[in-house]
Amino acid sequence: MTSVSIPTRRALLGRRRTTNPFVIGLIRHAFLIAVLVVMLYPVVWMVAASFRPSAEVMNSLGLFSRHYTLDNYKHGWSAGQLDFSRYFLNSIAITALSIAGNLFACSLTAYAFARLEFPLKRVLFGLLLATMLLPYHVTLVPQYILFNELAWMNTYLPLVVPKWLGVEAFFIFLMVQFIRTLPRELDDAARIDGCGHWRTFIRIIMPLSLPALGTTALFTFINSWNDFLGPLLYLNRPELWTVSLGLNSFLDVTGESAYGSLFAMSTLALAPIVGFFLGAQKLLIEGVATTGLK
Amino acid sequence: MRRRIGTTALACATLLVFAGCNGTSVTNDNAGGGSDGKDGKGEVTGKLQLTFWGGAARAQKTNAVADMFVKEHSGVTIDRQNADFGNYFNKLNIQASSHTLPCVMQLQGRQLNDYTKRKVLLPLDPMIESGAIKVDDIPKEIVDTGRGPDGKLYFLPYGAAYDAVGVNQTMAEQAGVGLPPDGYDWTQYTEWITKASAKLPKGTFAAGSRGGLPNFFIAYQLANGKQLFTDDGKLGFTKESLVEYWNMWEKLRTAGTTMGADAQADEPEGAEQGFIAQGKLLTDSIPGNALTPASATLASKPGEQKLTTLPMPSGPSGGGNAMFTSGFAIPTNCDNIPTAAAFIDFFTNNPEAGAAFKSDNGAATNQKVLQAQVDDPKLAPLKKHELELYQQIVAKKPPTILYPPGYQATFESAFTRAYEEVAFGKKSVQQAADSFFTEANAGLGG
Repeated sequence: MTSVSIPTRRALLGRRRTTNPFVIGLIRHAFLIAVLVVMLYPVVWMVAASFRPSAEVMNSLGLFSRHYTLDNYKHGWSAGQLDFSRYFLNSIAITALSIAGNLFACSLTAYAFARLEFPLKRVLFGLLLATMLLPYHVTLVPQYILFNELAWMNTYLPLVVPKWLGVEAFFIFLMVQFIRTLPRELDDAARIDGCGHWRTFIRIIMPLSLPALGTTALFTFINSWNDFLGPLLYLNRPELWTVSLGLNSFLDVTGESAYGSLFAMSTLALAPIVGFFLGAQKLLIEGVATTGLK
Repeated sequence: MRRRIGTTALACATLLVFAGCNGTSVTNDNAGGGSDGKDGKGEVTGKLQLTFWGGAARAQKTNAVADMFVKEHSGVTIDRQNADFGNYFNKLNIQASSHTLPCVMQLQGRQLNDYTKRKVLLPLDPMIESGAIKVDDIPKEIVDTGRGPDGKLYFLPYGAAYDAVGVNQTMAEQAGVGLPPDGYDWTQYTEWITKASAKLPKGTFAAGSRGGLPNFFIAYQLANGKQLFTDDGKLGFTKESLVEYWNMWEKLRTAGTTMGADAQADEPEGAEQGFIAQGKLLTDSIPGNALTPASATLASKPGEQKLTTLPMPSGPSGGGNAMFTSGFAIPTNCDNIPTAAAFIDFFTNNPEAGAAFKSDNGAATNQKVLQAQVDDPKLAPLKKHELELYQQIVAKKPPTILYPPGYQATFESAFTRAYEEVAFGKKSVQQAADSFFTEANAGLGG
């Protein structure tokens, strides 16, 4: 019985797919849009809530209100001892230095692991990958002591300097995988033309690794921009605060919180990430699709 | 290549640490001080680090006080740090484990003994004896909340918070039940809830499913005259009393008088968002200082509902209220003790400092400072109610609870979880009480 019915069903489905791709497409898109709505609703709600008067922020799960106001943005921007323009500038500075550091250090390290031959290469690469398995909580206290003894408190150095030392194993691994896919013949051709390692790296490998560099830049951007614990530990003075610390200052479970301002400033804090993502989307997809990290 | 340079740099840095080459201590400048400064006497000058929890609103008030202190003592500079309650303790723990605690650090009794156990705090008693810190105007019961298991004072409470029973007055009037009578006990409270429950509009409940709220349970035990913790920091109450307490809540929940377990689990954090602030509950236990923010949310709802707070239910042993104080401590790694002691004294006792801080973190413990605020005609009525209720409670000499090390990490989370297992039908009350006792006793004290 079953052996008869199964082919019929298959044929039915098959016929539908071929005869009416429009319906299938419609269903598929409807489904995707439904999932998208579920995923995006909290963000949309936050944006909508940021335009409601602060007393009404928590009042409903809906998006619409009778009163709309820009007060949350006005008050939020100038909240605290300093205003958010300072926090945004600080975040941008830290993020830009982190991206530059990661691109510089990770690409060089990756080139070494992908193209050079040196003793203990495999062991060192293994060690590097092993650092990914180490939870950051383990190194938190020793790191804090180290930076404190170096008198790096209340500076951006603890947040930026490590990025210039190639400690982000994930990005190194990503680039190693990418560089390995590039044909070695290009290196050989460059060598015949008289290029040393540095010129091969700059002229051949880097231009071809643009997708991997883009992915690294994007993820570093997101990580640095959203980092909270690092700035919390190392930056005490409000004039050094980043956006994430500024946002935290709206919250107070033991007193009064300013949710309206919090949502307004969170909306603004999200904008650069969304913008960067849209801008680097092509590179990102290429980077992920071509590095074997499928 | 770059990596090798990086490794070398790191290795050098580590060496520096071990060799102690870098002489600058960023914690606090070495300044002032008597013989070793442990009595808090000495020159008030130099750098001081101050850390506290709270958002922008509290930071503004704390900074105002710090600025006043700096103005009075030329030569003092204060580096301030603040973060939200949870993040504050994340940071403080890292600072504690690296011996870089700021000279003036804020604590509550609930976490105090996590720090006294590890001997990172200085006793303040010598500073009180020398007159560097004054406690004359602070009630003894309140000062005692800053004491460790050895009886020494480790932080000086500047603000005292209490938990209260919040009641939506408008809903109570509409349901025709009024407020519970003065000096009401737990039986009267639950009967009042049950009576109101039948007359409330749809979608609202008489009370939350609150068997898992630690402070409510503490109030119940205190009212019944039971000890909460033993001297060695283990649970001091009997399993039977916990079973009895949870049975009381389960009876209310299963009868539909209180909110269901899953709805309760969805309650958002913070005074502004709680169910009572949203007008969904007739009564709930809230922190005394949540009255103002919760009322603000409620006032924005249609119907202009009003909220008030009552003391916790009483029992055979009197009132069930305990004081939750916050205050400043001085760590052992502090090298500017005289300035730290002077700041703590200023923050707690100076009338102008008190007026600037406006009892933002619990009622001012200094009675003169508090009275000045209560007498101020500009004080908002709700805030006045908060402070007056505190005065009422403290006049009855509330008992002091000595919280054992691990209290916040173990007791609070285990208690809430154990009751949730009952409310979600995973365990019987007896089973949950058994597992709570095992878990709490394993993590507490020591």
